[in-house]
Amino acid sequence: MLRSRTVPRRGWNLEFVMWVFTRVSGAAMLILGALGMIGALIMGARTQMDLATLMRWTFFPNPNHVVNSNIPDINLGWVSLYWRILQTLIVFFGVSHGFNGLRVVMDDYIHHDAVRKVLRVVILVLWIAVMAVALYIIITS
Amino acid sequence: MKVHFKIKRFNPEKDKKPYWGEYDVEADESDRVLDALQTVKWDIDGTLNFRRSCAHGICGSDAMRINGRNALACKLLIRDAVQGGKITIEPILGLPVIKDLIVDMEPFFAHYRTVMPFLINNTTPGERERLQSPEDRERYDDSTKCILCACCTTSCPSFWARGDYVGPAAIVQAHRFIFDSRDQGAAERLKVLGEPDGVWRCRTVFNCTDVCPRDIQVTRVIGEVKAALITGKID
Repeated sequence: MLRSRTVPRRGWNLEFVMWVFTRVSGAAMLILGALGMIGALIMGARTQMDLATLMRWTFFPNPNHVVNSNIPDINLGWVSLYWRILQTLIVFFGVSHGFNGLRVVMDDYIHHDAVRKVLRVVILVLWIAVMAVALYIIITS
Repeated sequence: MKVHFKIKRFNPEKDKKPYWGEYDVEADESDRVLDALQTVKWDIDGTLNFRRSCAHGICGSDAMRINGRNALACKLLIRDAVQGGKITIEPILGLPVIKDLIVDMEPFFAHYRTVMPFLINNTTPGERERLQSPEDRERYDDSTKCILCACCTTSCPSFWARGDYVGPAAIVQAHRFIFDSRDQGAAERLKVLGEPDGVWRCRTVFNCTDVCPRDIQVTRVIGEVKAALITGKID
């Protein structure tokens, strides 16, 4: 019989946390995308929308993004708490996943410590800025 | 059959940059690539340099990039390597080239040493050897097959981009001891592998598994080390 052993669990570091986050956020985006699509279909997409419009509503149902829509009540029916929470989560996971990817690529190819530190701060600032703009749009739309 | 060899040549004493040496070799399709390389060196151009020792896939000396894929020249047959009558050979990537197909393996072995690739057990053994059940021995059997040829590490994009990454071969060597029931150094090894340049730099590309001449499931081995780090359990 195999003998199981234990070792002290290592402390967390950024690489480990982001390695886990990359996987969690990837899975989360798939699940949230499916939830968005299901929600859109339940709320009328089956009969009122073509595939492209369905996709737009699934991933970013913002009335300001809908141009030339032939759906009369688009501003009323879709902008609900459900969509706001869903889109906040999708934006958070998507943007964070993407910016972490940028950090990983930058870490791999920039070998100068000082430059790497500066670029990490730039990526962090960009991440905060993009999240702030996205949240502003979601909340105020 | 006649095979056209394109071999990357570089002599730092006289070449400013690498160039391709081209050679036509008469070879049997059941010959190994190493046989053809030896024909080039012995009969065509004695200045060609490459490593080889046992020539039977055990010592791991003749790892090279053949048609864009790492392999041992002594294990790869001409008929499996040839593409349109041609074979292209380069030194393995990610390590400094010393001359032609010979690379400086020291950075690779430096990573290997960091994982303490030796049995750590401070208890006094009994009168005879430390015993282990067949099941416990089987647990790390795959990682005992590593011959340190560096095919895996030098096919890894994470290692190409960042030489500080400990690399698949060192992780396989660590796995061999971490999962050995007689060993007591797992915590120290996992500490090294949990660092930012440890296992988390693995992006699960699977190049290492694809090219391993010993058919070790390298990516799986790395996954088991990651699981041990996350759960703190070795089983």
